[in-house]
Amino acid sequence: MMEANPLVCAVNLHKTYRRNADRVEVLRGLDLEVHEGEFISVLGASGSGKSTLLHLLGTLDRPDEGAIQFKGRRIDNLPSQERDRLRNQTFGFIFQFYHLLPELNTVENTLLPQMIAHGAWSWWWNRGEIRKRALELLDRVGLSHRLKHRPRELSGGEMQRAAIARALVNRPRVLLADEPTGNLDSANGQHIIRLLRELNRQEGLTIVMVTHNLDLVADTDRVVRLVEGRIEADPNAAAAFDTAMASK
Amino acid sequence: MYKLLLCWRYLKTRYLAMACIVSVMLGVATLIVVNSVMSGFSTKLRERLRAMQSDVSIESFGMEGFADPHGKMEKIRQDPFLGPRVEAMTATMEVFAMLQYSWPNGERVSRPVKLVGVNADERAETGGFSEFLVLHKDNPSFALPENLRKRFLADEERFLKQLAPVEPPKLLPPDELPSPAPPQVEIKIPEGIILGNLIASIRRKTSEDHPDKKREEVYFLNPGDTVVLFTVSGAKMKPVDARFVVVDYFKSEMSEYDSNFVFVPLPYLQHLRTMGDRVTSIHVKLKDYRTDARQVVDALEHLFPGEMLRVQTWEQKQGPLLAAIDIEKGILNVLLFLIIAVAGFGILAIFSMIVAEKTRDIGVLKALGASNGGVMKIFLGYGLLLGIVGASFGTILGVLISDNINAVEKFLSNITGGDIFNRDLYYFDKIPTNLEISMLVSVNLGAIGIAVVFSILPALRAALLHPVRALRYE
Ligand SMILES: Nc1ncnc2c1ncn2[C@@H]1O[C@H](COP(=O)(O)OP(=O)(O)OP(=O)(O)O)[C@@H](O)[C@H]1O
Ligand SMILES: [Mg+2]
Repeated sequence: MMEANPLVCAVNLHKTYRRNADRVEVLRGLDLEVHEGEFISVLGASGSGKSTLLHLLGTLDRPDEGAIQFKGRRIDNLPSQERDRLRNQTFGFIFQFYHLLPELNTVENTLLPQMIAHGAWSWWWNRGEIRKRALELLDRVGLSHRLKHRPRELSGGEMQRAAIARALVNRPRVLLADEPTGNLDSANGQHIIRLLRELNRQEGLTIVMVTHNLDLVADTDRVVRLVEGRIEADPNAAAAFDTAMASK
Repeated sequence: MYKLLLCWRYLKTRYLAMACIVSVMLGVATLIVVNSVMSGFSTKLRERLRAMQSDVSIESFGMEGFADPHGKMEKIRQDPFLGPRVEAMTATMEVFAMLQYSWPNGERVSRPVKLVGVNADERAETGGFSEFLVLHKDNPSFALPENLRKRFLADEERFLKQLAPVEPPKLLPPDELPSPAPPQVEIKIPEGIILGNLIASIRRKTSEDHPDKKREEVYFLNPGDTVVLFTVSGAKMKPVDARFVVVDYFKSEMSEYDSNFVFVPLPYLQHLRTMGDRVTSIHVKLKDYRTDARQVVDALEHLFPGEMLRVQTWEQKQGPLLAAIDIEKGILNVLLFLIIAVAGFGILAIFSMIVAEKTRDIGVLKALGASNGGVMKIFLGYGLLLGIVGASFGTILGVLISDNINAVEKFLSNITGGDIFNRDLYYFDKIPTNLEISMLVSVNLGAIGIAVVFSILPALRAALLHPVRALRYE
């Protein structure tokens, strides 16, 4: 599975949040390589900077230092227009709290990245095709019976599945998942992880998932640990993390 | 695409947006109602100011007037430029006078009036005369109608009989010379006079509880009654007077005119004032006032060089008053636009709240690849949409109120118990309104523009939100 060229590569990432005199050094020289088709999970305690890492990888934020490359091209310093495009076309996001727009129903939420990609005109021309893709995806995540529902009329698991459909509608290369099961019970959580696993296997989707829940990572290709702003590339990462948690 | 959808959804689901719409709506409705009433008043006033005014007038500076009006009018008709543009002309004499008449109880009253000598049918052709006559609109004339004439003669005769000296007792023997037959007094019917409506009548409430609260005109000078006019003769300024008989009323609804003007036949006035054919003004009606007025005034000024004549369009004559109306309207509009500006600040406040509320959604949109400009457009579009919806409802409301302003006024008067629109004061029986399309358009554009302008700031704030901070926002 390890190829020469990683799909996404973070080199020596530094990120410090400043609030007046307070400095929170979150990432301190983090290196990470994600290969194409890999399902990688990043474990870390709460507040360790997992979300920060995903935001940097997904060009939502810029690192203070270091670089992020996608297919060998540096993307962290691109002008904002191109980063908008990357977020729209190349990366898909899912969040712990789903972040569906409450005004839109399931289908419309799913279609949102497509709507952002298309102007009104090309939307109108391609609407049939685009809608078909969204309906297929919703079927794939098992939501075809909830198409017209508003987010508040859906359960947590259903909302997260809608969010996954939304993240995938533009056929991104990388899915960035920020504690996708954090707000779900374990059965629903397992369901979501299974879904991600299937998507990874069947569609060759590259997934970076961050979590602090050890139970979820068993089924992923690779587990790394985020400790003190760096990745600990410990092969026994999971076990080490476990002891760290236990000792707290 | 998402911008349209989101604007629309935000509009439909945001309760707060209703407040914006209502504030724009009320602003627009107020502006429309006030403007239409103002414009109604000013058009009406303009109309009434215009009432008696002919298009262009040629006037002398003094009461002595100028000679040979017919020659002058002929010269105008012959003029290659003026001739084809003039529709009608008439000469009049305007002079101050005292009018004396008696109340029904016999008391005598005098009041100053503006006395105008006219040729009734000629004056009618230049406009602003016959249409304001109360009794004989179609046939303006100073002649006394036959029935009144008979009544007048009968009255006069009765009066003379009373005056006739009592037969002296026959002291002298019958063989004396027979007493001379009583002198055959020939009853002369005086010339007719047309009185301003407010000279001959007073306006009175019919009764307090009358549903319409209509004012009624009570005439105390009726057709056939006689009045006396005192004025001065032309050259020597000697007082002269004459008796006239009322034949008609002049009612332009412009109280200044109706309470001051009286009309008598021009030749008789010239004779009375021993002025020969002199007149004080020539009124000219043009075929096309709008395009020709200015040039005609210039041409007329050149036509009679060396004569002390004042040539003016009616607007120049009423210039100061008309200008005052326009200024008033302009200032009021500026003030009223502040109403919409207030609505604008409402939009600003409410939009800021909506942006705050939507912060996380904005973060999500940016995470999904929406650009800053796109986010900005959502909120600008939202402002535009609110403006359009508010302005449309406001327009509908404003037009409805303007159209039914009198019913609204009556309703409010009934509720508050007082007169909102005092009809005695304004001399209108209805509140005049005038809805101009151009006013509607500019009010709407202004309101929508303000809605958009005031949403720029919140939209900018939304656009510049840092996506991560927005996503973390609780
Ligand atoms: N805007 C900010 N200003 C200051 N400090 C911040 C800011 N955003 C995050 N932090 C801090 O940075 C650290 C990392 O935050 P981050 O959200 O990446 O952690 P996390 O690993 O995702 O935590 P969790 O598991 O609870 O989601 C935290 O200690 C947080 O307090
Ligand atoms: Mg987090």
